[in-house]
Amino acid sequence: MLDRRRLSRKLRLVKRIILFVFLLVISSQLSSQVVYQTFKDTRVINSHSVETLPKRHLDFRIAHRFGDIAGEAGGWPTFYGLETAADVLIGFEYGITDNLMIGISRTKGAGPLNQNINSLIKYRVMTQEKGRNPFSLALVGVGSYSTMSACGTPGLLCFFAKRAHRISYNAQVLAASKINQRLALQFSLGLTYRNNVEFQDQNDLPNAGIVVKYQFTKVFGIIIDATYVFSEFRRETLAADGTREFSNPLGIGFEWETGGGHVFQINLTNSKGLIETDYIPYTTSSWTDGGFRLGFTISRQFKL
Amino acid sequence: MILRYKILGVSFIALCFIIFASLIVPDYSPAIDETDRVFKVLQSLGDEQVDHFPNTEIFGVSAKRGKQLIEEGFSTKPGGGKTKKQSKHFVCTSCHNMEKEDPDLRFADPQARLDYTDAQGLPFLQGTSMYGAVNREKFYNGDYYKKYGDLVLAARNDIREAIQLCAVECAQGRRLKDWEVESILAYLWTIDLKVGDLNMDAEQMSFLDRSLKNNTLKDSAIALVKSRYLNYSPAHFVSAEESRNAAAEIKGVPENGKKVYDNSCLHCHEGQRYSYFLLDDTDMSFKYLKKREGSYTDHSIYQASRYGIESVSGRRSYMPQYPVEKLSEQQLQDLIAYVNMRAD
Repeated sequence: MLDRRRLSRKLRLVKRIILFVFLLVISSQLSSQVVYQTFKDTRVINSHSVETLPKRHLDFRIAHRFGDIAGEAGGWPTFYGLETAADVLIGFEYGITDNLMIGISRTKGAGPLNQNINSLIKYRVMTQEKGRNPFSLALVGVGSYSTMSACGTPGLLCFFAKRAHRISYNAQVLAASKINQRLALQFSLGLTYRNNVEFQDQNDLPNAGIVVKYQFTKVFGIIIDATYVFSEFRRETLAADGTREFSNPLGIGFEWETGGGHVFQINLTNSKGLIETDYIPYTTSSWTDGGFRLGFTISRQFKL
Repeated sequence: MILRYKILGVSFIALCFIIFASLIVPDYSPAIDETDRVFKVLQSLGDEQVDHFPNTEIFGVSAKRGKQLIEEGFSTKPGGGKTKKQSKHFVCTSCHNMEKEDPDLRFADPQARLDYTDAQGLPFLQGTSMYGAVNREKFYNGDYYKKYGDLVLAARNDIREAIQLCAVECAQGRRLKDWEVESILAYLWTIDLKVGDLNMDAEQMSFLDRSLKNNTLKDSAIALVKSRYLNYSPAHFVSAEESRNAAAEIKGVPENGKKVYDNSCLHCHEGQRYSYFLLDDTDMSFKYLKKREGSYTDHSIYQASRYGIESVSGRRSYMPQYPVEKLSEQQLQDLIAYVNMRAD
């Protein structure tokens, strides 16, 4: 008798669970509405956004970071950095599905590893939907291979005792939410791994990032991108003048949608590098020392 | 015994009466019903049919493939594998409904169409519905000559050339192969007009019925059937300037404009479905449109709806314009009134 009661109670519970799941699925189907364009581009200054390219879209990107505007390396002698190029990126990215994209790019490189060939894979796991998912979630993987000539000094990063020493990686998890039609926020956690590092530096560098977009009009907005690198080595290493050698990348910029799938970003950032494997471990310029620069990104999409 | 013979006799007479009566009483079952295909009715009446029938002798022709080409832009090849996408930018359903969209097929009345499509949950589009396309006899009519020039001449009386013109020029894609054109035709024949679509009254149905049964007054019956639908889709372009000037005389109705915005603008722009330019239900979208209303750029509603948006260098996608039969001057003012109301 007792077993029968237990069985009946279990059956009732299973029925309720099935009903609950069924109602949940039905209600989510009825009320969910995809939130489009949390960000206008797949990048926000340096960081990746949760946006992916639509299926069969090819994106041709050119990004540029000039030299320091102020400080010792800036000012009039370099026409406020406009006569020097800290880093340049030329790349192609392609949407395999609406949620999966790949890319390849070449960067001049701003850190000790130059002339990089970078590969990219990004997968949007979840898309924000009203009444269902409060945020979008994406995974990003970046791999960089330095093609620079090897130098003859053992101990320097460019010595390249092994080919593998040319390689570094970055993986990130991004979560973003379009709070309202004007404001979007993104938080990220990542890990950069370099096969070869300087003495006492660490191979694996965890980082956390935040991205903010505020849209003034439908086509014009302000964007902020900040990355914090968790590294004791970076906190404690001092430059020759006694100041901290490393800085955390911080950028602020403006974004225009000029129509026809064309987004133009112009920004000021203290990071010289353009790729995660470069700007996360090797940002040494500081805003307070005038070590910030003008940068821009042009993105042009083509349907294939 | 006598009683048995009487019963048998009466039964025999009754049986004979029933058999005789069945021979002389006329058949009252109708020769036509609402599900009958219009082309079959016309054929039965002896009407000379336009050659729109698919050539099924070509290997690989199928209505299923045609449907896939229309809705998805590609299909399975007859020999296996997938065809190349017909267009990178559009599919047929970007601009054409596949369902009936005019409540009365005799008229190209944009407001009646908007009310009807809105009630049916269909988009309100620049192109004419493909429903009943095979019953039409003329294509790319009126001012489409201004847009495509001599290219429309071959397409005006030939549905196959019309399909190719749509594929190459309107959709900015590749020319279709023969089996693809015939497959599209095969599918279009599954969505041809039915007698019920013609909204004939009981008297007209009865006349048609008698004509079919008795083989009488066939020409009148053919004329009756053909008078119940347009065998072409009229198209007249108006200039953006004319529409701007019309604003002084026409008062926009925002409630109607909402239907245009939701069923027409958002059909392509929501979630960047067919356009790079995202429109949605937020204030920013409406403010953006209102601000540019008076301008002479692509993003002015007047310019975009009356001239469409041209392809820009490096890409071939564009926005087709609305003939006045697809978006009336009143509806354009309604749309502007709705945009302005939402922007304020």
